[in-house]
Amino acid sequence: MSLSWAWFFLVLATFPWLLGVDLLSDALATSGVCLFVSGAAIIAPCRRLRRWQAVLFAACVGFLFEALRPIPDGSLALLLVGAAIYLTAHRDEIRDMPKMFWAAVLVNGLACTTWFVAAGLAHLKQVPLFSLHFLGQWLVHLLLATIMAVLLLVPLTLVQNFAMDKVGVPQPDEAT
Amino acid sequence: MDNNRQGAKASYVALVFFIGLWMLVPSAVRRFNREAFAEFQAPALHLVGKGRDLARYWELKSRSPEELAAASRDLARINAALELKIHTLDDARKENVRLRELLRYPSSTEFVTLVARVSVRETSSWWQRIIIRKGRSDGVVPGCPVVFGDRVIGRVSIVHLTTSEVDLVTSPSFRCTAFLEGDEQNNVVHVSGGAGLSLTAPRALVSIIPVEYNPPAGQIAKVMTTGLGGVFPAHLTLGTLESGVHSTAEKHLQEGVLTPAKELNFIQEVSVLIPKYPTAGEILLTPADNSKPEEFR
Repeated sequence: MSLSWAWFFLVLATFPWLLGVDLLSDALATSGVCLFVSGAAIIAPCRRLRRWQAVLFAACVGFLFEALRPIPDGSLALLLVGAAIYLTAHRDEIRDMPKMFWAAVLVNGLACTTWFVAAGLAHLKQVPLFSLHFLGQWLVHLLLATIMAVLLLVPLTLVQNFAMDKVGVPQPDEAT
Repeated sequence: MDNNRQGAKASYVALVFFIGLWMLVPSAVRRFNREAFAEFQAPALHLVGKGRDLARYWELKSRSPEELAAASRDLARINAALELKIHTLDDARKENVRLRELLRYPSSTEFVTLVARVSVRETSSWWQRIIIRKGRSDGVVPGCPVVFGDRVIGRVSIVHLTTSEVDLVTSPSFRCTAFLEGDEQNNVVHVSGGAGLSLTAPRALVSIIPVEYNPPAGQIAKVMTTGLGGVFPAHLTLGTLESGVHSTAEKHLQEGVLTPAKELNFIQEVSVLIPKYPTAGEILLTPADNSKPEEFR
C-alpha cells in the first residue's frame, strides 16, 4: 500500500467518527447545539504523518465539516491546515497523552470558535458580535467542543493509530 | 528539528499564499469543492437514513397482530374519507380551471409532490436544517417548498446529486409572507427565522403585523402562507402565535413569535413540492438564446 495515500486512508478511518458526532448532534437537535470534534481529530495524525500529508488530512477534515453547513468556504479547513503545520513543526508538544489532551482541547476549541464566529458574521444585524446572546452561544458550543475533545480523543487516537500502523506510517519517533 | 521548523516557516508562507489565492478564485471553484465533499458524504447519509428505516421496520414488525389489525382498520376508514374528499376536490378543481380559462386568469403554480425521508438534522445557533434523501437526480431544485401534510417545514436551500439541504422555518435564512388567522383585512405579514438560542426550542419571528390586528379570542392564531410569489402554495400552515402579539418599540406595528406547525426536529418524512413549470424568475435567468422565438432572432 502506497504511503503517499496514507492521509486518504486516514480520512476514511476518521470519517465514521465525524459522522457519529453528527448523528449525536442530530439526536440532540431539539437543543440547537452542534457537536464538534474535527479539531481533535487532527492531533494523532499530526504526530506521525509527514507535513504535507497532515495538511491534506486536516484540510479534508475541515472541508467535510463545512460541506453540509452554511459556514464561509475554507474558514475552518484553512485554520485546521494552519494548526496541522504548527503541530507537525512542534511534535515534541504532542509527544505524550497529557500533552495530546491539551492540544486536542486547544485546537478543537479554536476551530469551534472559528466556525462559530465565521457563521455568525452573517447574522450580525440580528445578533451583534459582543452581545450576551453571541457570547453565551459561543460559550455553550466551546464547552461542548472541549468535552467532546476530551471524551473522544482516546478512542479516536486508537483507531487512527491502528489505521496508520496498517498503512505503514512510521512511529512518532521516526517521523520527520 | 531546526530543518523541521525551517520547513514549517515555508509552509506558513505557502498557507498565507493559498489563503490569498482561495479568496481570489472564482466562487465556482469553491462551490465545486463544497459539492465534492458533500457528495463524498452522501452515501453515508443514505446509509444512516436506511438504517433508521430498517430499525423502524423491525420495531413495527415486533408489534402484535391485534395492534396492526386495529391500525389497518383505522387507516382504511381514513382512506375511505379521503377518497370522498378527493372526488369533491377534483370537481372543484375542474370548475376552478374552467372559470380561470373563461376569465383568462393566470393559473397558480402547480406542483409535483415528491416524498423524501430525512437523513440527518443539523442545528446550531446559526442554522436549523435537515438533509433529505432526494436530490438533483430526482428533480429537486433550490427554492422548492418542503411540507408535511398542510404544514410548512421549510425550503430547499442547496441541492446535491442524491441529497438536498432544507432550511427549516426557524432557520435564519428563511423568509416568507403570511396571513394571520382572524385578520379579516388579510394584511400580509412577514415570517423570518432567527438566530436561535441553544438549549431552547427554535422559534421564528412574525413581523409587520398591523396594530389593529387582534388574535381571535379563546384560540391560538394560525399563521398561513399567502401563495404570493409562487414559492409556497396558499393556505399552508406555517405555525401558530402561541404567545400572542406585542407592539414593537416604535409602537406603530406588532410582532409575535411563531411556533412551528410541526415538531421540526422529530420529523422523519417530508414532501418536496416541485413546480411543474418554471417560475417567472427562472425564465428570466435562463440563457435567452435557447428560448428566443424565431422572429426575434
